[in-house]
Amino acid sequence: MASGLLSDQHSSTEAEYFLYVDGLKKHFGGVKALDGASFSLKRGEVHALVGENGAGKSTLIKILSGVFPFDEGTISLSGVPYSPTSPHDAKSSGIQVVHQEFNLLNHLSVAENISIEALPRNRFGLLNSREMNRRARVALDAVGMQDVDIRAPVETLGIAHQQLIEIARALQSDSKILILDEPTATLTERETKRLFKIIEGIKTKGVTVVFVSHHLDEVFAICDRVTVFRSGITITTENISDTTPDGVVRHMVGRQLAQEMETGLDTHIRDDIALSVKDLCVAKNPRDEGITFDLRYGEILGIAGLVGAGRTELLRGIFGTDPVRSGTIARDGQQVSFSSPRDAIASGIGFVTEDRKDEGLILDMSIAANISLASLKKLSSYGLLRFPEETQMARNGSERLKLKYGKLTDPTSSLSGGNQQKVVLAKWLARNPKVLILDEPTRGVDVGAKAEIYSILKGLAREGVALLIVSSELPELMTLSNRILVMAGHRVSGALARPDFSEESILKLAYGQNMNVGGDPSAAIH
Amino acid sequence: MLPSIDPAEDRDRRGISVRSIVNSAGIGLALIALILFFSVFTEHFLSPNNLTNILTQITINMILAVGMTFVILIGGIDLSVGSVMAFAAVVAGKAITIPGMGPTELIILAIGAALLAGVACGLINGLVSAYWALPSFIITLGMLNIARGAALHVSDAKTIYSFPFAFEEFGSALLFGIPVVFLVALVLVLIAWFILNRTVFGRLLYGIGNNEEAVRLAGHPVFWYKVAAFAICGLTAGIAAIVYMARLNISSPIAGIGFELNAIAAVIIGGTSLSGGRGSIIGTLLGAFIIGVLANGLILIGLNDFMRQMITGVVIIIAVILDHYRAKYMSR
Repeated sequence: MASGLLSDQHSSTEAEYFLYVDGLKKHFGGVKALDGASFSLKRGEVHALVGENGAGKSTLIKILSGVFPFDEGTISLSGVPYSPTSPHDAKSSGIQVVHQEFNLLNHLSVAENISIEALPRNRFGLLNSREMNRRARVALDAVGMQDVDIRAPVETLGIAHQQLIEIARALQSDSKILILDEPTATLTERETKRLFKIIEGIKTKGVTVVFVSHHLDEVFAICDRVTVFRSGITITTENISDTTPDGVVRHMVGRQLAQEMETGLDTHIRDDIALSVKDLCVAKNPRDEGITFDLRYGEILGIAGLVGAGRTELLRGIFGTDPVRSGTIARDGQQVSFSSPRDAIASGIGFVTEDRKDEGLILDMSIAANISLASLKKLSSYGLLRFPEETQMARNGSERLKLKYGKLTDPTSSLSGGNQQKVVLAKWLARNPKVLILDEPTRGVDVGAKAEIYSILKGLAREGVALLIVSSELPELMTLSNRILVMAGHRVSGALARPDFSEESILKLAYGQNMNVGGDPSAAIH
Repeated sequence: MLPSIDPAEDRDRRGISVRSIVNSAGIGLALIALILFFSVFTEHFLSPNNLTNILTQITINMILAVGMTFVILIGGIDLSVGSVMAFAAVVAGKAITIPGMGPTELIILAIGAALLAGVACGLINGLVSAYWALPSFIITLGMLNIARGAALHVSDAKTIYSFPFAFEEFGSALLFGIPVVFLVALVLVLIAWFILNRTVFGRLLYGIGNNEEAVRLAGHPVFWYKVAAFAICGLTAGIAAIVYMARLNISSPIAGIGFELNAIAAVIIGGTSLSGGRGSIIGTLLGAFIIGVLANGLILIGLNDFMRQMITGVVIIIAVILDHYRAKYMSR
């Protein structure tokens, strides 16, 4: 279906480039978000931007849509230099963005939301609601939403409809480029198909659609060309018809990470059990059935599952952060009960949290202060800090993790995502944990740092540390784990040994319990 | 890149203090500019008498602002310090006028009573706001009323006076022209600086103001640290009460109305962020000086008290605007 339309498009638009981006650079503090991005858009094409988190896609989008200016490079739009100074500027140049987080006013009606940028007025300067409603109807019909009541408050609609309202709003003005930032992340399979139909309709009107997605199957279903980002650089732009999903992945991850993912685990799992969890039911678990597993020294146990499967809640329950309803935890065979993270830490557990900005780091504080945060008792006497020892600890930690930084006294916010994550790791490694729990250890980390973190984690397992890793990236879990536990709806739906790992088998288990709820498994698991 | 072994690193290894010095530098310059301005445009500003006067005038605000800095650093606020000071003063006034005891015992008793009353109010503020995770703005607003009511109740709405002579002596004593009560405030500033910059407790107060959850997940008892910050604020209100009594030789249940706002202003002008996590005690000291110098200088220049109040208000707003730009600059 897509390919038929595709060839029509090629003949009619005559491969006319009208947006050129060349050598675009942008840095935030010491972090290079874009370090030479180049790409171009044809009229009426669907162009995919792919790359790992932090590869520079969203920075490029924000520059194109006027959220912030760029440092170096050139952009030209229809042959004229283009450097928008505000989102309004970008919109009047015909570039519209539908962000991942919607910018809708939830209590206002659909019609008001669609017209919010330029509310029609009558000659007394009052709101002309008839005209407003007419425009809204036209805009909604254009994206095939005849069934939506324009007077309904936006909050009463589902996510898919809210997104289409954003798209309708973007399209009602004279748009040349419509950028969709991960539009399918929250959609079900059926909703995604409907969105794709709408995208094809938009494209026939000569509007260029830029499609940002993590899902290569979607990219290959509807896009004409794909540009791959890695570490702030555009690696390549290819015609979809000339490439394969595997080829795109190879461009995305780069050689270093590909190598790290291909080398096997040479860990030695010991006989003694480091952490034994039995029938553990966290307070947030809606069921009465608990989680049971054993984790041995030197083992890496991965936990897979969809968003909402209860993985993070389980980790927080083990670490004493969230209350536990029932069940037992044993450390080295001794039953324990952690009433706070303090107790868990005292028994040799470390916890690298999912969200380093909200839970892991004190961004305004120095790198040294963050690395020492969990070891202050060791670095003080009578409550007084011993600064030389703190500096030494920070220096050792950053050498061990190959941290790239200016000075140890620089605020942690000056580091890139990957290096920030290394600081979180260094904080826990400074305590020599026996058990290390990690929740999404490489989220928002560039591929180089990702490869390094993989090798650090494997190294820890070799040293005998027991690791428990939750990740939504299946390739990551399959690279790192000796065993994978799959969770669905707050229970273990299956366990896989390393020889049995495959994305399919994991997905099937992750999805088993949620099948009736609906939704695209790959959409939720990535 | 190899980890740099920079000699500068060893000098400025404390959590955030390098940046706090940069922060304070601007405020220091502003204070010097003010002093120069008033020295040039008024006759008596630099006279020894007037300087002693300024130091006396800013003492109480400085003491209250020290405690306020602890609370604001963890992202809280304490609106009750003025009332708590009055309550502590009245309790101490009751104690110090107990008949049939020697002056030394009475003074010790009064000081103990004031400190205890202050800490008790601070503890309540801290325990309630930390336990139920409620905004300290509301809790301390409640305490503002409770402490004021208690002060009026305990004193029967009457001013208490006739204190031991030695006590009154302490309030007006000078050491090389510097009021002894000001030296007390200065010692408090030094202690606070030490706590905030050299102890685990101080480090974690900054941490809590920045990211409470990260501190908690690193295994620290955040609850008690927060309670302690409020208790310290209450303690300084108790100390301020003693200084107040010694200076004026009375305990009035209606003392200290609006003092909390001056203390907050000193902290904010001093560059401490209202959202917590960033700031310094040196900034607070300078902030208290700026308010005091402005008040004194503007009156010397011939403006009335109402004008002075307006200008102080403008200075607070300018300080916050400057802080906004400073925060932007720092995050770059």
